[in-house]
Amino acid sequence: MNKILKMIGAVNAGESSIEPRADAPLVLLVGNPNVGKSALFNKLTGQYVTVSNYPGTTVEVSHGHCPQLGHDVEIVDTPGMYSLLPITDEERVASDILSSPRVRVVIHVVDAKNIDRMLGLTLQLIESGRPVVLALNMMDEARTLGIQIDHEELSRRLGIPVIPTVSLTSEGVADLIRHLKTPPPLSMLRVECGTLIEQAILDIARHLSPASPIAPRARASLLLQGDLRERERLVQEKGEQAAATVLAIVAATRAKLNHSPHYYVTLALRTHSGQLLGGCLSTPTRAPDKIRRILDRICTTPLTGYPLVALVLYFGLFVLVGQFGAGTCVNFLEEKVFQSHLLPWFSSLVNAHIPWQPLRDLLAGDYGIITLGLRYSIAIIFPIVGMFFLVFATLEDSGYLPRLALLVDRGFKRIGLNGRAVIPIVLGFGCDTMATLVTRTLETKRERIICTIMLALAIPCSAQLGVILGLLSGSGAALAIWAGVVLSIMLLTGWLAAKLLPGEQPMFYMELPPLRLPTLMNVLVKTYTRMVWYFREILPMFILASVLIWVGQITHLFQIMIHNMKPLMRGLGLPDESAVAFLFGFFRRDYGAAGLYDLQKSAHPMTLHQLTVAAVTLTLFLPCIAQFLVMQKERGTKVTLWISGGVFVTAFTVGYLTHVVLTMVGM
Amino acid sequence: MLCPFCQREFDETKLPEACKGCPSGGGCNNVRCPYCGYETPREPASVKKLKAFFKPKGREKKP
Repeated sequence: MNKILKMIGAVNAGESSIEPRADAPLVLLVGNPNVGKSALFNKLTGQYVTVSNYPGTTVEVSHGHCPQLGHDVEIVDTPGMYSLLPITDEERVASDILSSPRVRVVIHVVDAKNIDRMLGLTLQLIESGRPVVLALNMMDEARTLGIQIDHEELSRRLGIPVIPTVSLTSEGVADLIRHLKTPPPLSMLRVECGTLIEQAILDIARHLSPASPIAPRARASLLLQGDLRERERLVQEKGEQAAATVLAIVAATRAKLNHSPHYYVTLALRTHSGQLLGGCLSTPTRAPDKIRRILDRICTTPLTGYPLVALVLYFGLFVLVGQFGAGTCVNFLEEKVFQSHLLPWFSSLVNAHIPWQPLRDLLAGDYGIITLGLRYSIAIIFPIVGMFFLVFATLEDSGYLPRLALLVDRGFKRIGLNGRAVIPIVLGFGCDTMATLVTRTLETKRERIICTIMLALAIPCSAQLGVILGLLSGSGAALAIWAGVVLSIMLLTGWLAAKLLPGEQPMFYMELPPLRLPTLMNVLVKTYTRMVWYFREILPMFILASVLIWVGQITHLFQIMIHNMKPLMRGLGLPDESAVAFLFGFFRRDYGAAGLYDLQKSAHPMTLHQLTVAAVTLTLFLPCIAQFLVMQKERGTKVTLWISGGVFVTAFTVGYLTHVVLTMVGM
Repeated sequence: MLCPFCQREFDETKLPEACKGCPSGGGCNNVRCPYCGYETPREPASVKKLKAFFKPKGREKKP
């Protein structure tokens, strides 16, 4: 074990060692992060503390002893955990420590202000068969907010001691120590999770050792929810045969349920927590809480939620990103900075000092590194993406995104997804490549494929979105047609994919974090962080694009590719020059969008009809190279080629149909 | 760090399970929440230094 000794204060000369006996009983402090666990630990242990890495991990665990309890008892401050079902390394370590046969008492430390969200873990700990003491910490903050908790009644209902504490002032610590000297009796409280789940728990528990430190019921519940760590323990304890039998019970149970066992258990814990706290917890209704509740309802109820989404899209995307970012800012940088000053100066510098024409073309030609690569990234992409990330950071910091996920959950189910898919789809508006990576967090293969198709086909990235909004903002009709066509294709494709692809529909559930007022510092930091990340990625790519185009021009390959795309462009009613934007678009979507912008600023801009058709086709067009490669890695070559082929055909077919319909209506 | 989506806390300095098998091998500078999968870019060192510079001195760290 990699030991790092940390001394807090001087070691008392009378104490020969700060280490308790190797077989000393353990008192564990367990709880969510940021509930004052460590402060309480410090109050219990004072200066007698060791911090060491848990064996085989880099997770630090603090342990020591309490002078009032003597060396016979070891106090352990476990890493933060939200549930007995571990997700992170820290939670796995906490779970392992909890499984130790040496555990005498578990102190569950909760933030008294948020007891309703944390009592679920208390119930899990009680069911684990350990003596539990509930420490309602941060009581001073709860009192300030007017929150009252009848801890005696709660104690009676839970069947365990409930002690209000304030770790900073040591309030309640003496009472806590008293309960550590004599461990409390076990509570008989159990949380009913429904007939099927309960039967499965009973069936699994029969295969578990009744003498295990954690109660068989709790272990069975964890196995049913797919706890891999518990599965490993089962194999070690009973062998592969027993594990296989248990897994068969788990599989059979899952087949009978509409949702995952974890969903039912979580719901039961929440429901039971609410019932236990009814009459024990009194929270005054303050004006900010009232407002938060009203806003919550507005965000998540379809009648008000969807209009709110439309408002957010209008002001956030159309006005700020499209008009201000892609319009005002881009025009300023393009015309006042690059075209008026920077590019003429640079061209004259290159012409004066570089005799070799190909090198001049590479740097300052039509597709030069400076004249195109740098100009695209700074004059066009930077203001658009910057505004997008600013809007996104504001929404993110406000806590709106989880509510959006809840709102669209029902609608998403019709296209084979659920609310969780909001994460990759919203991220896709920033960058589809990253969003495609994030699809791996979706539960089923079916969802991952459907979401990947939608990202490849119909979710424009921020730069593409911003340029198109900027170009079409002058005509409400063109914008409406573009948005309507793209949205319809997205929903139709999703619906079709959901019908054709086999698989189950998983449930989406999550605990909503509170709504909060975005802080300027947070928003600016997040925007800046994303901008740094984005530019580190695109600047080399844009420069590379210029180099590749330069090579393509020298070898005439570029001209050949443009020439071969011309029939497609003419079929859509687009000018031949628009082939460049599409070719760019395959390299980088944002590069293609910038190409479209350039075309509009040229001597022969497209008509509104052509612009609408180009916008629709380019939005639905092939994913960029980076996204293509990520798709290939995430979904496999076969699925990627199918998706890409389908997207290509769809993009040009829809583009052609848009062109035909617009011609018929005389636009 | 706190996940901006689900507001759960996790240690961003540790390579989470989600990074294993990713094409970038964990070197993409993004941080993925192990609870909800939400991805956000890691704060640049310059921002961390600025925050540390402006952090009020002598204030005890909230437990």
